[in-house]
Amino acid sequence: MKAVHYLNQFFAGLGGEDKAETPPVRLDGAVGPGRGLAAELEDVDIVATIACGDDYFAEHEDEALATLLAYLEEDPPDVLVAGPAFGSGRYGYACGTLVAAAAERGIASVAAMHPENPGVDAAGKAYVVPTAVNVAGMRDVLPRLARVASALAAGRELGTPDQGGYLPRGFRRNYFAEKTGAERAIDLLLAKLGGETRTEVGGGLDRVEPPAAVPDLSQALVALVTEAGCVPQGNPDRLPAVRAQGWFRYDLTGEETLSAARYESVHGGFDVTLANEDPNRLVPLDTARELEREGRIGRLHEAFYTTTGNGTPVVTSTRFGREIAGELREAGVGAVLLSGT
Amino acid sequence: MLAKEIERAGIPTVYVTSLPTVATMIGANRIIRGPAITHPFGLDADERRRIVERAFELLETEVEPNTVWEVAG
Amino acid sequence: MAWELATFPSDLLPSQLEVEGADVQVVRPGEPVRVTHVLDAVEPRIRPDGRAAFPTKGKAGEGRTNRLDGVVVLSCLDFAEEERPLHEQESIVDLAGPGAEFTPFGDETCVVLTFRPGEAGNEDAEAAARKTTLRVAEELARPTLDAEPAEVETFELGAGDENLPRVGALIQLSDLGPLYHLYVYGTPAGQAGLPRIVDPAELLDGAVTSGEYHWAAMRNPTIFFQRNTLVRSLYAEHGKRLRFADVVLMRGYEQSADDKQRAAEAAAARAQELGADGVVITTDAGGNSHTDVMLTCRACERAGIRTTVILAEETDPESTRPILTDWVPEADSIVSTGNLEEQVEEWKPERVLGGDTLLDGTAAASAGPIPVRNYLGAANQMGQLTLGARTE
Repeated sequence: MKAVHYLNQFFAGLGGEDKAETPPVRLDGAVGPGRGLAAELEDVDIVATIACGDDYFAEHEDEALATLLAYLEEDPPDVLVAGPAFGSGRYGYACGTLVAAAAERGIASVAAMHPENPGVDAAGKAYVVPTAVNVAGMRDVLPRLARVASALAAGRELGTPDQGGYLPRGFRRNYFAEKTGAERAIDLLLAKLGGETRTEVGGGLDRVEPPAAVPDLSQALVALVTEAGCVPQGNPDRLPAVRAQGWFRYDLTGEETLSAARYESVHGGFDVTLANEDPNRLVPLDTARELEREGRIGRLHEAFYTTTGNGTPVVTSTRFGREIAGELREAGVGAVLLSGT
Repeated sequence: MLAKEIERAGIPTVYVTSLPTVATMIGANRIIRGPAITHPFGLDADERRRIVERAFELLETEVEPNTVWEVAG
Repeated sequence: MAWELATFPSDLLPSQLEVEGADVQVVRPGEPVRVTHVLDAVEPRIRPDGRAAFPTKGKAGEGRTNRLDGVVVLSCLDFAEEERPLHEQESIVDLAGPGAEFTPFGDETCVVLTFRPGEAGNEDAEAAARKTTLRVAEELARPTLDAEPAEVETFELGAGDENLPRVGALIQLSDLGPLYHLYVYGTPAGQAGLPRIVDPAELLDGAVTSGEYHWAAMRNPTIFFQRNTLVRSLYAEHGKRLRFADVVLMRGYEQSADDKQRAAEAAAARAQELGADGVVITTDAGGNSHTDVMLTCRACERAGIRTTVILAEETDPESTRPILTDWVPEADSIVSTGNLEEQVEEWKPERVLGGDTLLDGTAAASAGPIPVRNYLGAANQMGQLTLGARTE
C-alpha cells in the first residue's frame, strides 16, 4: 500500500524560516522524519513527500491547497500522513487543512500535532494523533502515527479515540454505558454536591457577532421570514409539519394581509387554531404594510420565506438559513423580521 | 438557526419568539419576546403593531449578543 | 407508610386471552419479532385488596401490589392516516436483533395487543386502547392473587444520616394536549395540579400512566414509571450516599414564556419545600419541553439547589458539534441518554406485529437501518436505560 507524506519546508530539508515562502513541491520517497515513519509502517511505503513553506501556505492557502491536492489526485495514495507538526501553529494549520480537504475527497488522512495546536480544529473529519509540544516528542510519536496510518491504509476500524490513539473529532456517538442514565445522573449530582462538576455533554455553541444596526429603516428593504410554517391555504408545496426538508418563498405582490381564507400554518409544534383564525398573528403582513405606507420602512421585500423550525436537524436548518440569506442578500434586503413560535 | 445564518450574511435580523431562551441558545442576537407560542405577535392588531414597532426599533439599535427586549403593555 | 411490591413468576401468565377490539399475540423471549406502531408498554400488576392497579382515585404506593415478572403488555395502533396526529412518529420495539439492545423487552414474554382504528376518530380510538391495555395488564396479574410470591420488596424511607445530602427527583410529565400527554391518577398532567410533591412509591405503583405518542425514543411508556430506575436507584442509595427527598412531578410543554417561567419557579419552590440540596431533573419528549427543563434547572440553581439534568441529543451523525434543543449556562451537569439521529443496523425480523407498513411507507420486515429516534423509549430521559452519547 502507498502513503504520501506532507512536511513543511524545514522538515523536508528545503531550508529554515528563510525558505518559508517556498511554494508546494513534490519529492520522491520518504524525506526527513518520513524515513523514521517509513520504518514503523506496516506494509505501507511512502511513495512521495509533498511539502510547502509555512508562510506560503498561510498567505496563499487556496493555491497551495489546490496544488497539494492535485499531487494527491495524480496517484491517489491509500493514506495521507501530515506532520508531526508538534506545537507549531502555521505548520499545524497547514497539516490540519490539508488532511481535512483530502478526507473530504475520500482519501484516508491523518495528521500529528500537539492537542492545543490550532491545526486540530482545522482537521475536520480527518484523524489527528497527539504529540508533545516540540520536536523532542518525535521518537515517541512516530510509532503511534505509523500504527494509525497503517490501519487507515488497510481500511481497518480504529475504534474509539482512546482505543485508536487519536484525538476526539467531535462526533457524538452512541454507546451502552455500564450504568443507566439515572445512576449516572445520581453520580454526577453527588460529585457536584461534593465540589466536582462534570457533564456528559456541554453547551459550547457557534456564535455570530450581531451585525451593525440598520442606519435608516425608512430607506431599507425589509423581508418577512418565518419558522412558524405559514403557507398558502391548502399547503400547495406540502411543507411538512415536522422535520421540514426545505423552505419556500411565496410572492406578496399585491397582498395587503395574510387572510385566513388564503393562508394557514401547518406547524406541528403548537396548536395552530389561533394562528389560523388570523395568520397575521404569525407573519404580521398587515402591520408591516401599514408601516410601509407610513414610511417607517422603505419597502417590504416582494416575497416572504417560510419553513417549520421543529424537529429539523440543526445541520439542515443551518442550510435553510444560508440559502435564504443568499437570496435576501442578492435582493438587497437590509433587515429581516423573523417570526418563530 | 435562520436568525444566526441570516446575520452571518450581515443582514440585521430581529427574531420575534415566545421562547427567548431557545433563541439565545441558538445564537440569535436581536430578540423580541412574543406573548405566546401560538401567537408570537399577539392576538389583535394593536398588540401586533406594538410588537412590530418594537422589533423595528431593535433593528435600529446597536446590541450586545443575545439581546432580548420585552414589549411594554 | 410502607409499600410492598410482591413479585410472581411469569409462568402464572394465563394461556388463553381474548380482548375485544384487539388482536392478541404472545411472543416468547428471543423470538425474531418486530412490533410497530407501539403506543405503550405496561407491566401486569394487581392489588390483593381490590383497589385499582392504575388508580384514578385514592393513593398509590400504599399496602401491597403484585407484579408478574418478565411479562410486558405492548399496545399497538396504526392511527387512521387521514387524521394521523401531526406529531405521531414511528414507534418500534424489536424483540431480537440489534434493535433489541435499544428497547429492553426482548428477554421478556410480550403480550402484543394490536388495536384497530375505530370509526369515531383517533382520540376515541386511543382512549379505548389505553384503557383496555391497563385493564388487560391488571387481568394478566390476577392469577397472582392465589399464588405465593417469589420475592417481596418493601419501599420505605427512614430518616437517614443527617450528614448525607438530601436529593430529590424532579420528573417532567408532558402535556401538549390529547394524544400527547401523560396522566397522573387518570388526569392529564396539565390539569393535575403540577408541580406537586409525591411519595416516590406512588410513581412506582401506577400513579402515572402514558398517553403520549410523539418522539418514540424520548417518551415515557407506563412501564418506565412502574420500573423507574431513577426512583429505585435513589431508594437504593438512601442512607448510603444520600437521603432521598421525594419526587416532584412537573409539567412539560407550558405554552407561553410566562407560564414556562412560572412553572420552573414553582418546581424549584417545591424542591425547596423538600429541603433538597440537589435534584435530578428529568425530561419528557422533545422540542420545547427541553426549554421547560432548562428553565427549571436555572430556577433551582438560583434557589441554591444543585442540579443534574437528563436529556437526549439530536446531533447529525456527520456533524462534529453536539446539539441540544435548549441550554442555559446553569446546566453544567448533564447526562446524555444518546443521540437520536444515529442509525441502528438493519435487521430482518421473521414476523411483524402491530402493522406491516411503517409510517414512512416502507415495509416493516425489510426497512433497512432505522434511527434511534424511532425505537420506543430508547433514549428515555428519566435515565431508564444505559444508552449514552460520547464525543469520538
